[in-house]
Amino acid sequence: MDIFIEQILNGLTLGAQYALIAVGLALIFGVVEIVNFAHGEFFMLGAYAFAMVYPYDGPIPYPLAIALATGIMVLFGIGYERVVIHPILDRTWHTQIVATLATSIILINGAIIVWGTTPITTPTSWAKTTIQTPFFNISYQRIAVLAITATAFLVLHLFIQKSKTGKAMRAMSQNREACAVYGINVRKISVLTFAISSGLTGLAASLISPLFNILPTMGVLVTLKAFAAVIMGGFGRVSGAIYASFMIGLTEALAAGYGHHLNIDSAYRDAFPFGMMILVLLFRPHGLFGKKVGI
Amino acid sequence: MKKSGILAGVALLIALGFLPFVVTTPYFIHTFILVGMYIIFALSYDLSVGQVGVLSLAHPAFFGIGAYTAAILAVNYDFPPLLCFLLGGILASLLALLIGIPSFRLSQHSFAIGTLGFALIAELVSRNWIDLTRGPMGIPGIPRPTLSIPYLFSWKVNTLTQFYYLMGILVALGIGFYYVLTTSRVGRAFRSIREDETLAASAGVHPLKYKMIAFIAGAAMAGIIGVFYAYWYTLVSPEQLSMYYTTNLLIIVFLGGRGSMRGIIIGAFLFTALPEFLRITPQLRLILYGIILLVAVIYFPDGIERVLQRLKSRGKVVSAFEKE
Repeated sequence: MDIFIEQILNGLTLGAQYALIAVGLALIFGVVEIVNFAHGEFFMLGAYAFAMVYPYDGPIPYPLAIALATGIMVLFGIGYERVVIHPILDRTWHTQIVATLATSIILINGAIIVWGTTPITTPTSWAKTTIQTPFFNISYQRIAVLAITATAFLVLHLFIQKSKTGKAMRAMSQNREACAVYGINVRKISVLTFAISSGLTGLAASLISPLFNILPTMGVLVTLKAFAAVIMGGFGRVSGAIYASFMIGLTEALAAGYGHHLNIDSAYRDAFPFGMMILVLLFRPHGLFGKKVGI
Repeated sequence: MKKSGILAGVALLIALGFLPFVVTTPYFIHTFILVGMYIIFALSYDLSVGQVGVLSLAHPAFFGIGAYTAAILAVNYDFPPLLCFLLGGILASLLALLIGIPSFRLSQHSFAIGTLGFALIAELVSRNWIDLTRGPMGIPGIPRPTLSIPYLFSWKVNTLTQFYYLMGILVALGIGFYYVLTTSRVGRAFRSIREDETLAASAGVHPLKYKMIAFIAGAAMAGIIGVFYAYWYTLVSPEQLSMYYTTNLLIIVFLGGRGSMRGIIIGAFLFTALPEFLRITPQLRLILYGIILLVAVIYFPDGIERVLQRLKSRGKVVSAFEKE
């Protein structure tokens, strides 16, 4: 039983990680209709940014380090929008996909040159301290991951639903031309979308990287799992992407924990999200929570 | 292609046929074989990306299944090489059919992501199905092939020059196949779908059927070139299914010009031979590739083909892909 609960907790942590990344992807796709193949590399850069500001459980307090890494990634997102996205905003989807794919190649290999291929770790005291209950143990780190992720989503939800800018984002996801006609600054909304999405990857990286290794290729699988979540959630639907991310995280953790009972090698756990994605695509091409428009 | 184009092509082919007599440096021959490999590989990729306009990211899986078919059958069962070439092509097309059925339910972006998912699963399988593929260690020691049909001919491909000529035959066949397919009625159907799928469908061109034809034909070509790769390198490992190939293919096809045979052939030459001769370290090369791809796709969406057309007409050429 306690193994079961621990696997569920593992799954929720993984799910939170995927969700923070998938939400950004869904947001970008919903608002500017671009599939950002470099999104996992944002996460990787966020992890390195975090490792730079918080190398050895210090020198600054952990929450400040999270804020710093997130801020760095917000700036990166703005720069990315200016350099890569702006010239391709009105181009065909072929061009857009190849451009973001090219950026992801540049970022991965740039990271290899700058930081090398040896994995690095950023231990936090939170990751080592655990709360023990009669049924399971959970580290402060995992509690922080779940709590901060939930808070971030709540803030994002309120922002998109209630604020004027959020409404402009939703309007843009429905019709970009009409927005421009009504005087919404389309360019500004696009920059903002990338700033938020990139910032969320920075947040995800600073929360998760104390639990895992940091290496230049860490973003590749994460991008694909986030894609799987976005597709399963219905393309461009933010809430759908969140649910699907947690489904993927839980499936993966349970497959890793119990797969051997079904003769499934744990090496294949990474194949599960894609298998699920393909099944969803076969039977529900618009996603599990698919709707026609809107974020 | 006009008569002069065909003549120039034939002349070039004959000149390349004499190349091993003129150039004796093994390294050059080796590079030319690599160029040939990328010509067919890129043309096979262009069938779906350039001709029909569906952006598949699963192409290395077809190359990989061809390479593994040859490696497993040749090493474990001593299969005749010609049969391996045939089976490599067939298995790759079957895989394409399997991937195509669910993936073509998706449009545009989701198709790219769906196929990327399949490519990743294929790589995971090659890494983890140790009994069949020996996992990350790969399958070494693939024997030199003896191409033979009983009572007709038998050709042991052993030296680098012999591999060069085998490659030459494959390139000629590949270019011929691509040319015949794309200039036939089928090719016109491909391009009508690329231009406007709905309009094509209303004119009686079944989009799914032709997308599938392009996808499967491209996969067969990639599978066959995978078999060649296995015999040539004598080692097949999971690396042969990696995204690395997708990157190279995208660069060649987008820089050469989607849907342009001559553009792609020139692109394959530039992007295989040049980096080899310039001797750039792999990491720096990939960054450079990425930057070139990014700049090219933003500022020169029609690649070399557009440059060629401009040279000819000395005027403004309307892009086939970036319409207002």
